Amino acid sequence: MSEVLQSLFVLGSTHHEAPLEVRERMAITPAIAAALRQELNELEGVRECLVVNTCNRLEVYGLANSKNIETIVRDQLCTHSGVSRALLDAHSFWHTNLDVLQHALEVSTGLDSQMIGETDILGQMKNAYADARAAQCTGVVLNRLFEKSFQAAKSARTQTRITRGQVSIGNVAVDLASRIFGHLRDSRVLLLGSGDVAEKTAQSLKSRGVADITVASRTFENSHALAHRLGGAAIELSDFSAQLKRFDIVISSTTAPNMLIERAMIASAIKQRPDRPFFLIDVALPRDIDPTADSLENVYLYNLDDLSAIANENLELRKAEIEQARTILKGHAWNLWLQLRRRTIMAEH
Amino acid sequence: MLQEIAFSAREAMAVGTSFYLGALFFGVVMILLRKPYPRAIMFAVLAAGFTCQTLGLNLRGAEIKGCPLGNIFEISQFIVWSLVLLYFIIGPAFRLRLLGLFTAGLAGLLSSIALLIPAWDGSYPAGIFGGNPWIELHAALAIFSYGIFAIVALVSAMFLIQQRGLKKKQFKGVYQHLPSVQQLDIMAKRLLITGVLVLSAALLFGAVFWINHPERVPVFKLSVTCLVWAGYLAVMVLRLQQRLVTRHHALASIALFIFALASLWPVQSARETDPLDEPAALLAPE
Repeated sequence: MSEVLQSLFVLGSTHHEAPLEVRERMAITPAIAAALRQELNELEGVRECLVVNTCNRLEVYGLANSKNIETIVRDQLCTHSGVSRALLDAHSFWHTNLDVLQHALEVSTGLDSQMIGETDILGQMKNAYADARAAQCTGVVLNRLFEKSFQAAKSARTQTRITRGQVSIGNVAVDLASRIFGHLRDSRVLLLGSGDVAEKTAQSLKSRGVADITVASRTFENSHALAHRLGGAAIELSDFSAQLKRFDIVISSTTAPNMLIERAMIASAIKQRPDRPFFLIDVALPRDIDPTADSLENVYLYNLDDLSAIANENLELRKAEIEQARTILKGHAWNLWLQLRRRTIMAEH
Repeated sequence: MLQEIAFSAREAMAVGTSFYLGALFFGVVMILLRKPYPRAIMFAVLAAGFTCQTLGLNLRGAEIKGCPLGNIFEISQFIVWSLVLLYFIIGPAFRLRLLGLFTAGLAGLLSSIALLIPAWDGSYPAGIFGGNPWIELHAALAIFSYGIFAIVALVSAMFLIQQRGLKKKQFKGVYQHLPSVQQLDIMAKRLLITGVLVLSAALLFGAVFWINHPERVPVFKLSVTCLVWAGYLAVMVLRLQQRLVTRHHALASIALFIFALASLWPVQSARETDPLDEPAALLAPE
C-alpha cells in the first residue's frame, strides 16, 4: 500500500497553465470526460481514477502502480481531447503524493479558481466525485481524499474571510452593463445556452431592472424552462441570428464546438443600430463569439478571462485571508497524508 | 455700485479661475485617493468661481458700457462663463457624473491661458457694437454657442475615456465614476443640436447687419464663421442620419471645437488690423 501512496497523481491543465485559446482546444464534453475516466480506470496498473472537467479546468486524479503512468495518462488525455502531446506538455502540470492532496484541497476551497474564493467549484468537484464513485472508479484513497477535501474547504471558508468582497461574474457583468447603458430598464438580453453562469448573470441583470430576457438553446424545452424561471421568452437557437439586432446584451454559454456568432453577423447587426452599443458576454468554452468582433465600433466583448480578471481586482484586499486559508489547508493535507500512511502501515501488518 | 468694488474685473476673474482650478485639483485628488466623488462640494466650488467670474464680466461690462466681447481675453472669459453656466443646467438635470470635474478642468485651463497672455486683453475703442442691440445679441449668442460646443467637447472626451476603458477591459479608477457611454453619446447629440441652433440664430441676427452693411464685415471673419457653422451643421446632420456615431462623432466634436477656438486668434487679429471694421467685427465667430 505504501507503493500506492507513492503513485497518487494528478495531471491537469487550468487557467494557470493554459490561456483561453489553448483551454478551448482542450475542452472536452462530459461524455468524453466519462469515457476518458473509464478507459484510464480499465488500464492495467491504474487502481482509481477521477476526472474533473470544468470550463477552466481539466484534471485527472488517479492512483497507479505503473512506473510510466505519466506518459500513459498524458497520451490518453491527448487522444480524447484531440490536442497534440507537445501542446499538452507545454500547458499542463503533474503532481504526485502530498502535492496532490494540497492541490485537491485548494481546488475545492476555490483558492485555485480563476475567481479566487468562488464557491461553484466545490459543487463541480462533488459532481465529479459522485460520477466517478457511481462508475466505481474510485476506491479507498480517492474517496478519502475527496471527502476530506470537501470538509477542509468548508473549514477554510468558515475560518477565514476569503469569500468576503468576492465579486461574481454576474456582478461584474452588471457593472459593465451600467458603464455601457446607464440604467438597464430598456436593455434587451439574449441568453444563448442554458448554462449555470449565464443564468446567474441573467439573474443579476434582472435584479438591476432588465425586463426583456430571451433564451435560445439547443433544446427548446431547456430554453423554455429557463425563460420561465427568468420571466422571459424562448426562441429556437436557429432563429437568434436573424433577431440579433434587437438585443443589447448577449450572454453566450453554449457547449457548441464551433463559434456560434461570427464577426460578420455582429457587424451586420450593429449596422442596423449604429448608435446603440452591443455588450457581448462570452462565458462558453470553447468560445461562442468570434474574438475579433471586439474591434468593431460600439461592440464590447468580454470573455471568461476578462470577467475573472476584473472580479479579481480586489484580490489585494484578500491576500492575507488567502494565505491564512492556504496554511489551514496545509494542515489538513498533512493530516490526511498521515492518515493514509497509517492505514497503509496497518494494512501491511 | 459696481464701480465702488475695490478690485478690478481681471482680479475677479482671476479669483474665479482659482476656484475652477481648485475644484479640478480637489476632484482629481479625491479620485486618486479612491474616495467617493464629492459632487456637492464640486458644485459649490464651481458656483463660487462662477460668481466671481460673473462679477468680473459685469465689472468689465460697466467699464466698456456694453457686452464685454471686444478682445480674445473677454471672449475666452465669456466662453468659460457659458460653459460653467451650462454645467449648472445640465449637471443636476441629467446627473452626468464627473461633468463638474471636466468642466472645472476646461474652465480653469481656458481662463488661465487668457489671464496669462496680457496681449489678449488689449484695449479697444468703447462702443464697438455701435450701439446696435441686435449685434450685441448676435455676439452674445455666438459666444454662448461656443460654450455649448465646449461642453459637447467635454462630454465627447468623457465618452472617449469611458469607451477606451471598456475596450481595454479596465475597471478601476476614473472609469467607475464616469457616466455610461450611451448616456454620454445621447447627451453629446442633444447638446450638439442645441449648439447648432443657437449658432444659427446668432448668424441669422448677424446676417441682418451684414446684408445692410456688407462692406463692414471682413470676408476672412465671415468665412471662418461660416466654416465653423458649416462644420457643426455637417456633423449634426451626419449624426442624425446615424452616419457619424459614437467615437467618430466624439472625435469630430473635439476637433471642431479646437478649430473653433484656434480660429478666434486670427479672426480677432484680422479685426484689429482692419480699418473698416468696428461694429462689424461682431459677425466674427467670437
